[in-house]
Amino acid sequence: MPNNLHDVPVTAQAGGGGIAAPRPFWLAAIVIALGCVCLYAAFGLPQGARYAGIGPGLFVTVAGAGLVVLGLILMVQIARGERFQAQDAEDASGSEKSDWPAFFTALAAALVPVLTMQAIGLPITAMLSFTLVARSFGSRKTLMDLVYGAIVGVVAWVLFTRLGLQLGGFLPIAGF
Amino acid sequence: MRFRKALLPLAVIASLASGAAHAQVNVMLPANPGGGWDGTGRQAFQALNDAGIFTEGVNFTNTGGAGGTIGLAEFQGAQTGKADALAVFGAITVGSIILNSSPINLADFRPVARLTAEYLVIAVAENSPYTTLEELVAGLKADTGANAIGGGSAGGVDHIALALLAQAADIPVVDLNYIPQASGAETVTGVVNGTLAAGISGISEFQQFADQGRIRILGVTAAERKEGLDVPTFKEAGYDVEVANWRGILGAPGMPDDNYAVWVDRFAQLNDSPAWTTVLKTQGWDQFFLPGAEFGTFIADENARIGAILKDAGLAQ
Amino acid sequence: MQTFSLLMDGFGVALQPMNLFYALLGSILGTAIGILPGIGPALTIALLLPVTITVAPTSAFIMFAGVLYGAMYGGSTTSILINTPGEAGSMMTALEGNKMARSGRGAAALATAAIGSFVAGTIATILLTFAAPAVAEIAFYFRPADYFALTVLAFTSMAVVMGTSRVRGFIALFIGLALGTIGIDEMSGQPRLTFGVSALLDGMELTVVLVSLFAVGEILYVASRYRSNSDALIPIKGQAWMTKEDWKRSWKPWLRGTALGFPMGALPAGGSEIPTMLSYTLERKLSKHPEEFGHGAIEGVAGPEAANNAAAAGILIPLLTLGLPTSATAAVLLAAFQNYGLQPGPFLFTSNPQLVWGLIASLYVGNVMLLVLNLPLAGIWVKLLAIPRPQLYAGILVFATIGIWGVSGSVVDLLCMVVIGLAGYVMRVYDFPIAPVLIGLILGPMAEVQLRTALAAGQGNPAVLVSTPLSAILLTIAMLFLLVPILLKRLKASA
Repeated sequence: MPNNLHDVPVTAQAGGGGIAAPRPFWLAAIVIALGCVCLYAAFGLPQGARYAGIGPGLFVTVAGAGLVVLGLILMVQIARGERFQAQDAEDASGSEKSDWPAFFTALAAALVPVLTMQAIGLPITAMLSFTLVARSFGSRKTLMDLVYGAIVGVVAWVLFTRLGLQLGGFLPIAGF
Repeated sequence: MRFRKALLPLAVIASLASGAAHAQVNVMLPANPGGGWDGTGRQAFQALNDAGIFTEGVNFTNTGGAGGTIGLAEFQGAQTGKADALAVFGAITVGSIILNSSPINLADFRPVARLTAEYLVIAVAENSPYTTLEELVAGLKADTGANAIGGGSAGGVDHIALALLAQAADIPVVDLNYIPQASGAETVTGVVNGTLAAGISGISEFQQFADQGRIRILGVTAAERKEGLDVPTFKEAGYDVEVANWRGILGAPGMPDDNYAVWVDRFAQLNDSPAWTTVLKTQGWDQFFLPGAEFGTFIADENARIGAILKDAGLAQ
Repeated sequence: MQTFSLLMDGFGVALQPMNLFYALLGSILGTAIGILPGIGPALTIALLLPVTITVAPTSAFIMFAGVLYGAMYGGSTTSILINTPGEAGSMMTALEGNKMARSGRGAAALATAAIGSFVAGTIATILLTFAAPAVAEIAFYFRPADYFALTVLAFTSMAVVMGTSRVRGFIALFIGLALGTIGIDEMSGQPRLTFGVSALLDGMELTVVLVSLFAVGEILYVASRYRSNSDALIPIKGQAWMTKEDWKRSWKPWLRGTALGFPMGALPAGGSEIPTMLSYTLERKLSKHPEEFGHGAIEGVAGPEAANNAAAAGILIPLLTLGLPTSATAAVLLAAFQNYGLQPGPFLFTSNPQLVWGLIASLYVGNVMLLVLNLPLAGIWVKLLAIPRPQLYAGILVFATIGIWGVSGSVVDLLCMVVIGLAGYVMRVYDFPIAPVLIGLILGPMAEVQLRTALAAGQGNPAVLVSTPLSAILLTIAMLFLLVPILLKRLKASA
């Protein structure tokens, strides 16, 4: 959501906040790349159709072309020195410096389920994810976090499995 | 401490719900809960249980999407060679495999039993100028594009039924103005408000609205007239078309022969049981039983027929 | 007043202790499961379908009605408190509601949502009781061109209120549009943008995108910039109740939201998305405090929540009076009717009056029950925010994961969660608005399908798009939305 414009000078004083590089051209590059992916995919689809006139490819083409054009505009804006003021969230300030170890710990927590959900089941996955997120937010009571995480995972698994959701086995690797 | 307090209500509700049985048999339902395939699988095993044919625990897995091809692919990967692994599938799967160039080959699975069918009907609005199937076909022939016809997903059973009708009436299949609708409800409303000249769907989705006098059913794709539905078949109207939205059971690829024979026998028993008759009646399904190897031949025939018609419709290469 | 006496008979059924118990059970189950992102009433009722074997039909449907309304209440709770909307219908609630909760007005937000839902649910149920057959007919009135015009109106009205940077707002919108085209094209059966990944054939799961952008993106972002000083724990003030001012600002949005949500819920392709979005933009336009929007405006919670609940009640009308299921939830309810060998429709009212009127009466009862459950609970729910931040955010991630895993059981979706969550992080750092992505994802496919259906039925003649009075009117309003601000600017500049 929008920020107040008068925040900008504050950021400048704070030394640019988390955005060290003033010209993030890579942002525009990603947008253009996404547009190109769409255009490439649209290339293999019919653009027209017998009766509707509009075929399956047209919306993909429009989305791709739109992204490419918007990416180019963004590129120009960045070249002209467009400012990016990070959004203020509760518990976080846009002008705060990025804490990369914390960020990567949280990212790891989000990645854990991809690796473990199928193999070792929801309760342990929840326990690991929970502990990692708590750690990234500065909690150092790792043992307690493991316990809390396990409780949340086990209770959620028991509850929602009983209700009929498919959450996988309790501990698939051990055959449960 | 507060944290645990917050969990307390959840634990209370957990105790309200009942436990699940220990599972020995894995059944793949390649659709989301609540739909036709989901119902077929669950009701069939409930009836097997009620009839005392098979009373052990069953573990159902719902993996919906893309006409069952996603669920079947998962089933093939996880259950190949297993003794007691079954999957529900149906006519829609055959077309979806071809349309999505899915790597699945139905011939790899072991055909256990074809169980049910739902026949399709074609209907027009009550105030439509067409009063018989012949008139509708004549109208289609005169101006194919102006008569938009709605039904289920592109390449699905509804679409194939219409394409077969067109073929039988010498109307080029590619010329059909077939508009897939997201649901039976949208097909019905489209027919009633005149967006669609006609609609194709399962009997159960249309009969209700015919009874209300909103739509007029012109023909049914069954071999004989249906009880309680005074409508001629496509064949009576002179078009040699018979299509059903059938559903059946597949065994895992490489299921051992002994287990396979047992499952074919169990479903044959199910088909003769009063429990199953009751299910068919309450659900409005038609009995359409075909066991084991004969079902395998049927699948191969359907595969060839549907593949050819999809090619004619320009949907598959 | 035959309806009235039938309704009284219905209350006789609904107020039997056993049925009251089922209504309570349904409400609790619905609320509990609505909390989990992505697990909505359709899936919950589908999971409960096996009870149709043992429970009497009247009791079962009374329970299902409780689930339907309860899930709506539960969904708003997570949107407001932990910024994790599970369904499209509660997305708009999260925008303002979470801001309110974070500034210590969580209880007021929950209360306006709960009371708004109650008001909307009750009005909708009254309309259902007395005007059902008339309302049901609008389902047959709407044509593809009308639906298309409706989506265009929702699009343009959202575009106007989008954010500070037009370019970044539109980038977000187009990313949403691109995401929306992933999967099998409904009209031609061809896979689009799936790149051979079969898990993508059914499209990008809305739940995954919603949860990832809102919850996962936020967790990554806050983790990287967390102020671990002692004042991070916001004291929860004003917990108890809505102020007089809040009431004054809420009641009109409730009524307007109901008016938008109810008829659209009765449409086959209506759903709760468009009415909640329209309600949000409408309140933003009409508000005397437009500057508060984006920072926790109570109107932005009251309107969409009422619209959401009214739409949920609206789906029962075509289902009960015509036998026409207009949403996934209604389709599952229809399956439940069929399990009992019943066919909903006009004949059900004469063949099973006890069931129909018992169900309708139980909707009133369920609404009161949910209000009684939720208002005192609002205070307890808000205490969730008193959990220390590390454990709170950890819990949010775990629940987000369970929601995604529970809906699909797909590792691909979990991977999508990480990738989209990262995108959500980047969007926060570089100030891209989040909502347009979801608007593109939700409305894009609807607009496309209806446009192509309208054109195909009209054999490619674009005039078909304005061929009905309603479509012409809606498209005109949509154009005015876009053009009037520009014209006004021009006029001011030249003056």
